Parts: sequence; structure tokens; C-alpha cells
Amino acid sequence: MKSQYAMIIDSSKCIDCKACLAACKQVNDLPEDHWRNWIKYSEQDPQSAETHLVHFQPGGCMQCNTPTCVEACPTRATYKDERDGTVKIDYGLCIGCGSCIPACPYGARYRNPITRKVDKCDFCDFWRNNFGLEPACVSTCPTKARIFGDIHDPKTRAYQVLRENSDRVVRLSNPQTETKPNMFYLKNTAPKDWPKPARTPDPIKAMLCCLTPGLQGILGASILGALVMWGKQIFTRSEEEQDDRESE
Amino acid sequence: MNNSNKISRRRFLALAGSGLASAGIGGHLGNLKARAEDTLPTSDNSTQEPGNKDKLESRFSFCNICPNKCGLIARVQNNRVVRLDPNPEHSKSRGMICARGNAGIQQLYDPDRLKYPLLRKGKRGEGKWQRLSWEEALDLAAKKFRDIADKYTRCGWWFTWGADAQAHFVHRFANVFGSYHIANHESLCFWTRNRGFLDVFGEGPPYPDVLNSKYIIMIGANRFESLITPDSIDLMTAIQQGSKLVVLDPRRTKTAARAHEWFPVKPGTDMAFILALMQVIIKERLYDPEVIHKETTGFNDLEKHVRSYTPEWAARETGIPARDIRRIAREMAKAAPAAMVYPGRRSSTYTNSTEIWRSFAILNGLLGNFDRPGGLLARQDLSLHEAKSYLAPWYEDNPKERADAHKAPLMFEDGAMQTMRDAVINEDPYPVKGLFAYHTNPMQAMPNREKTRRMLENMEFVISVDIKMSDTAWMSDLVLPAPSALERRDPASVKQAGSAGACVYTRDPVVPPLFDSKSVFEILQGLAKRLDLGKFFDFGLEEYREEQLKGMPEVKKALREKGVYNHNGSLYGLYKDKPLRTSSGKIELSSARYKDKGLDPIPVYERPQEVPQNSFRLVVGRNACYTNSNTQNNWLLLQFVPNNPLWINPGAAKKLGIRDGDQIKVSSSVSHVLTVAKVTQDIREDTVCMWSGFGNISDGLTLVGHKGGSVAELLEDHIDTLNGNAALHETFVTVKQA
Repeated sequence: MKSQYAMIIDSSKCIDCKACLAACKQVNDLPEDHWRNWIKYSEQDPQSAETHLVHFQPGGCMQCNTPTCVEACPTRATYKDERDGTVKIDYGLCIGCGSCIPACPYGARYRNPITRKVDKCDFCDFWRNNFGLEPACVSTCPTKARIFGDIHDPKTRAYQVLRENSDRVVRLSNPQTETKPNMFYLKNTAPKDWPKPARTPDPIKAMLCCLTPGLQGILGASILGALVMWGKQIFTRSEEEQDDRESE
Repeated sequence: MNNSNKISRRRFLALAGSGLASAGIGGHLGNLKARAEDTLPTSDNSTQEPGNKDKLESRFSFCNICPNKCGLIARVQNNRVVRLDPNPEHSKSRGMICARGNAGIQQLYDPDRLKYPLLRKGKRGEGKWQRLSWEEALDLAAKKFRDIADKYTRCGWWFTWGADAQAHFVHRFANVFGSYHIANHESLCFWTRNRGFLDVFGEGPPYPDVLNSKYIIMIGANRFESLITPDSIDLMTAIQQGSKLVVLDPRRTKTAARAHEWFPVKPGTDMAFILALMQVIIKERLYDPEVIHKETTGFNDLEKHVRSYTPEWAARETGIPARDIRRIAREMAKAAPAAMVYPGRRSSTYTNSTEIWRSFAILNGLLGNFDRPGGLLARQDLSLHEAKSYLAPWYEDNPKERADAHKAPLMFEDGAMQTMRDAVINEDPYPVKGLFAYHTNPMQAMPNREKTRRMLENMEFVISVDIKMSDTAWMSDLVLPAPSALERRDPASVKQAGSAGACVYTRDPVVPPLFDSKSVFEILQGLAKRLDLGKFFDFGLEEYREEQLKGMPEVKKALREKGVYNHNGSLYGLYKDKPLRTSSGKIELSSARYKDKGLDPIPVYERPQEVPQNSFRLVVGRNACYTNSNTQNNWLLLQFVPNNPLWINPGAAKKLGIRDGDQIKVSSSVSHVLTVAKVTQDIREDTVCMWSGFGNISDGLTLVGHKGGSVAELLEDHIDTLNGNAALHETFVTVKQA
């Protein structure tokens, strides 16, 4: 069975200490002033049941099941890795066009000014696969607000916590763009209405809907035409031979 | 897709990216090249090459950025630290490291690190240096030790240090060298708290059992930003399990914003709140009479004393409604004994801080929470052997007392930094002309920076042992480079904290020492040899540690296998059927000792000074992304705390025509700074706040430079009248457009 790694977050435990941002940046060698993760802040209504005045919500790439960033990528550099359920970027194919950036409802992707390619959270893929270490944001958190694991594997804590809280878990999404995120917030979280509809830049839209199919059509037609010509050559040769023989 | 192809392509690109990163990140790399030495590692802000699958080793250590000393596991590849993870076994740090802990890698590879001994060439503070070899540096230092001792006696030297596992070797050196002068950073911090609690319970500091407390009143402390392990973690757990948190703070800190109730108390009036709580609890008989009778003394005096401190009176002083004070008293008493006034830590606030904190202690005593779950815990019996014990020599010609003796009636033996500073400046009662400073930065830590400058100008020789060119190092004669904690071996230390109890921890080098650095232990050893004191330092650290842990195989094993030894001893009932270390043997709700000294046996409320018209009270604070003046020159942390704007309330700002982000001039009676305004609802109209550690004069901190304003520059020189500890919230400032 394929794995689906996910993050289960109890944002009511978050104290905005920035340890997760610091750890991520340090171990993944990120450039200055760019981040793979974030903490969103919201003021609470003092009259509401929640007695706290502020709420902190950590987040990052949600490794969606139907990722709009993948749809927007012209070179297929970004893809959903079926083996662990994360959305990855093949840097051999990424041309740094940045089309995937507005295509993400969560703003999880950014252009790395040093490498000039797009970057985003990959659940510390390098550290997990090579050294069996958890994502840095998960290990470092003082209040252990993040739980990480394979939610397809009943033996993991992530699976169990998700199942126990299935009736109140919150998945953030924009009503216009449902990407089925794999980041689950326990209990109540805030803010909830911040994900934006996925946008694809017009040139890319045009390319994907018209130009590429158009080019494919032209290419297809060319190949078809070439096949027809080749086929015609074969038949024509046979007739000429026939003629030659007849004329003898 | 072929997995290995992906990685090799990725690795190539990433290596190229790293190369670009090396060339591209920040101007400080220009400085790196300018200071390039043969021992410089290829360091920049990329500390690992993504795709490098070389063997990863894991080594135990603990963080040194702040006093918490969180246990960590350093991941090392080819002798480079590439990742820091928390040590999940550590009972105190409970498997966490914070943003600053993660930034420890930046500190390790900070291109501005001190690399070799430096001797001042030009004027003090001019920043002209010449490089010395260690031989030359230690020979010179030893000569200066002798010269000053010959001219002014051994007490002509003052030794000061910060919170560090090797600091007690500085204390050892001071003892065998023969100086009484060891006033250090603790007198800028929590001496007043320790004093107040010591005089009530017979021991201090107090250890609050936050995890199991059902009702916590937190006054001034800001545990969700000013992180203290395990209290910060346990506070969140306790709240999630239904405990109630009430916060008093003139600022809406993150702790205040996450509390059940927050009161923007008028600064300096906390004692009124506490006295009124006690008045209600006593008047309505909400205390446990059996506990009071058996475990405390002075109740009748307390009852009389608080009679007039009604909630109505306290409401006028504090701005907290009387009905809330009454209700909180009842709620607290109901939750008792698992209810507490959180002792906090930094009690360097007002000139009567000892008495404020003593009132906290007395209320805790009244709640009957001492030595019980959810209350204040006693010191556990976990101690190591005193290794390489010694008898310090006696120096005939030494003066009778410390230079700052008797400056306050309840000082601790060490003396206090501000009173010592006065003694140095005035050469009164006698000259103190030499300063040895380790892992501490008086220029940024002491209020009234101009006075600290004068103190240093008055010295004949100042030695700083540090990892960076702090402002104090900048003003020194001799600057000696120490390795960072990740490069060090240390003796074993014991630490007890809150609900975690006590633990033993130690360090071994995670990576070899960088540059030409020497640990302060090695430095002191070198000095001792040159001063005929070699026999007091004739051991290695491994040997020392062996002796500390003699006959404790379980401790040694745990240190080796888990990186920490958790005592897991009993937290409660440690004083069962045993007297307390007070003169009465009980909790002293009223102190006969204070009475004998002519002081108030029970704290008497003193109204703080009114904030003058058009002025503000300046308060200092912390957040989770910086530590005092230790972390400003950190590439990673600068991205969270790039500056230290002045927090000012919108109503107050409007009256002054100041908008968010404006350049402003902040002036006190001693100085002024230029900084930037942060207009925020999160602070009272009569109060302003700035982070510390900015506005550095040193040119040796190129990442942060001279950004921001120095709080030390602005603060006036006040001390607690009973104890001599700093009082940092007594300064009024004016603010205007720059």
C-alpha cells in the first residue's frame, strides 16, 4: 500500500516561538528572507468560547492529493510522488518559470533567488530518506504541536490521532479550489478563510489549453503526414514495379 | 523517474546553488575574506550540501545560548554540524530546542567569531588591535595580574561571568588568586527573587511545579516568549488540561494573549494586588488552618498587616477592578494547594523588588503549596562530588571586605554589579583596577552604559574571554577567543527545574575547536601556572569529571547512552517532618530576622513613582528569538528580530505625532538613543518597551552592525534598596520625532 505522509497540527498549542521556521531554514539551507513554512496569526473574539485573545497557526506545503501546482507546471517538474504522498520538484526539469507559485492556494511555494528554481517544503525528504530523521519542524517544536506520519499506516500515531479526531479535524481550503490537503488541524484553528483560489498565469493557461494541444496537434498531424507519405511511397513503388514488369 | 538520477542532478544543481549561495549571501562574506586565516573553515550560511549522503554521526551536547541548557543531539557530517535536534530524553527540555537553539549552528560558524588573542593598540574602545600568540597573551595577562595585585592587593581584581558550565572555574581562580570580587550577571537579574523566597522558605530559588498547578498567577513573567524549560512547555500542557492562567503585565505579551485573564496592571503596583489577595483569603478564612498552624509562623502578624489592604484599595493602586481581585482570591484559594503565584525569574524591576517578590513568597506560603504538587518545590538531593577540592591561600595584605560591602542590608556574598561599578569609578573604599570577564557583557547588560564605559576607563587592565567581539570585548585590553559550547568538553553540572526535577548533564566536543580558540578552563590553567597557582589547576577536565561522578555508575551510563541523567527523584514531601532552613524552622509569613535588622517584617506597600507628564516608564522584555546581548549577530535570528523598535501605544503616539515606523529620539536623564517606533495596542499608554542587545558600538559584529538603540544606554542606575540587585523599570523617558 502506498504511503501518505501528513502533518497533524494542534494549533492551539502553538506559541509562535518560530523554532519550526528556524529549524527548517537551518537544516534545509534556505536563502535569507524566504521560508518553506509559516505561522499565521489571528485575533480572537474575546466573547467567544475560546478564551485566548490570539491564535497561532503553523503551516507549510500541504502535499495535496489533487495539487493545482502540478497541473500548472509546464514541464511536469513538480509531481505527486505516489510512494510517500509528498509533492516533489525535479530540479532537472524545473525551469524556474514560477507558474506553480500562484497555482498554490496556500502560497507554499516561492522562487529561491539563489538557485533560481522554485522551492517548497518536502517534509524534509533528504533527512527522512537518507537518515531516518523526522522533519526538523516536528522535532524541534517546544509544545509538540505537530504530529507527522503515514496516515495510511494504522500503526502510526498520526493515523490514530487522525482517526480519533476525524469528526472535528479541519482541512483548510478555498471553496473554488479543493486540493485535498494533507495537513490536518485538530480542534478549532484560525484563521480559516485565507487560502486563495489557484491561479495560473494567462500565458501558461493559453499554453496548456491551446498552444500545447495545438503543437501536439501539429506534431501529430506532421507525424501522420509523414506516415502517409511513407505509406504512399511503399504503395507507389509496388505499382511502378508492376508497371515495369508489365511493360517488359 | 530514476531515483539516483534525480539525486545526482539535484546534488549537482544544489552544489552549484551552494556555490552561488557562497558568493551571493550578504556583504559579511567580504569581511570573511578580509579576515581569512589558515584555520578558517569554508563557512558561509550553507552549512550542508543537500544531497550529501556521507555518514551522519550523532553526538550529545547541550545548548549554551541561554540559561536553559536544553539537551541536544548534534548531527555531524565530515566534522561539520549540519543539524541540531532536541534530545528527547532530557527531562528538563522535554525534547525541544527553540529558534535560538537551532541558530546555534550559525553561532558556531559565525564569520565574525573571535579567532585569536587580540591586544588593544589604540585608545580603549577605538577598535585597533594587534594579534598575539597565546604564549604572549597569557604571559602578558599574568604580568598584569601580578602588577595590579602588587599595587592594589589581590582584591584589585574583579572576576565576573555569565551562565556557563565552565564559569565556576573562574570562581575557583578568583578564590585561589585571592580576590573577593565576584559580582556577576545574577545581580542584574534575580537576586531579589532569590532573596525574597529564601527569607520566607529558607531556600531559594524556588522550583515551581507548573505542570500540576491548577491556578497560576503570572506577574511580569512571559513564559510563552521568555522561554524557560520546562515551565514554558508545562504551562501549555497545564492550560490544555484545564488549569487557569491569570497574567499581570503592562504589555499584551503572547503569554498575556493566551491567558484566561490578562490585566494591564499599572507597573510597580504588583504588591498591592498580592496584599489584597491575602487580605481576602485571610478575612474569608479560605486558608487551611492546619497547614498554617503546622508549617508557618507569623500568621497573626500577617493577618493584622493585610487588614487595610482591601481589594478596593488595591484597585485604586493597580487599576484592576476590586471584584476581580476578590474573585481571583477565592478561585485561587479553592484550587490551593495546587495554586501558585509563579515566582518568575528576572526580578530586576523596582527599588523594592525584594519586597515585591517576598510578598509573592508569602502568598505562596499562605496557600500551603510549598513542597506539594502544583506548588513550589524544594531543592532535590542530587549532588556530585566536589572534585579537586582545594583550600584557597590566605593573602595577608587583602582588605577586610569587598569594595561594595554593606551597600545594602541584604546583599548576597558575591556583591552586586552596580555597587561594584560605583566602587571602581570612585575608587572607594579602595581601588579595583583589573577586570576578568567571561561569557558576559556588562556594556549591554548593565543599566547606564556611560557609567560602564567610565568603569572600564578606570580599569588598568580588562580581559574579556568571549566567542564574539561584544561591546565589552570591544572596550577591553585583551580579548581571548573561547570556543563555542559545541566545541567544548565541560565538567558535569546539575540543574533542577520546575516539574522536571533535577538532572545531570555534561558536554564533549561535537566538533573540534575552531580557529585558535581556548576554553576558559585552559586559559585559567595557563594563567595559574604563570602565577604559582598551578597546583589548583593541575588536572584535565575528563579527570575532573571522573571525580565528580565517582561511585555513580548509573549517572555515567546515562550520560553516555542518553546524553543526560534524569534524577527522577521524589518531587514532593522532601521536608516531611523536617524543619525548614529558616530561623524558626517554618515558613516565615513574617520575618523576625528582618525585624531585628530594622526592616519591615512583612512587606509594606510602596507606591511607585508617578510617570511624569509627557513621559513614559521604560520597561525591558524578551521574545523567543533573541537572548539578551548574545544573539544579535546571528544570520538566522536577525531574520526574526532584525531591530529593536520602541513599543508605544497608539493613543500616546498620536499625541506626539508619531506613526508606526517613524524615526524617533528616546531620551532619559542619562542619555538618548535614536530608534524606530512600533505603534502597538499591546502596551499601556504610560509605558514603552525595547528589546536589549542592540545599538552595539562594536565594529566586530558586522551582521547586526550598530542597528537599533541600546537599552543599556538609556536606563538609569537604580538598585533594589535591600539587596543591591538592578532595578531596570525605574527609568522615565521622553519620546519625540527624530
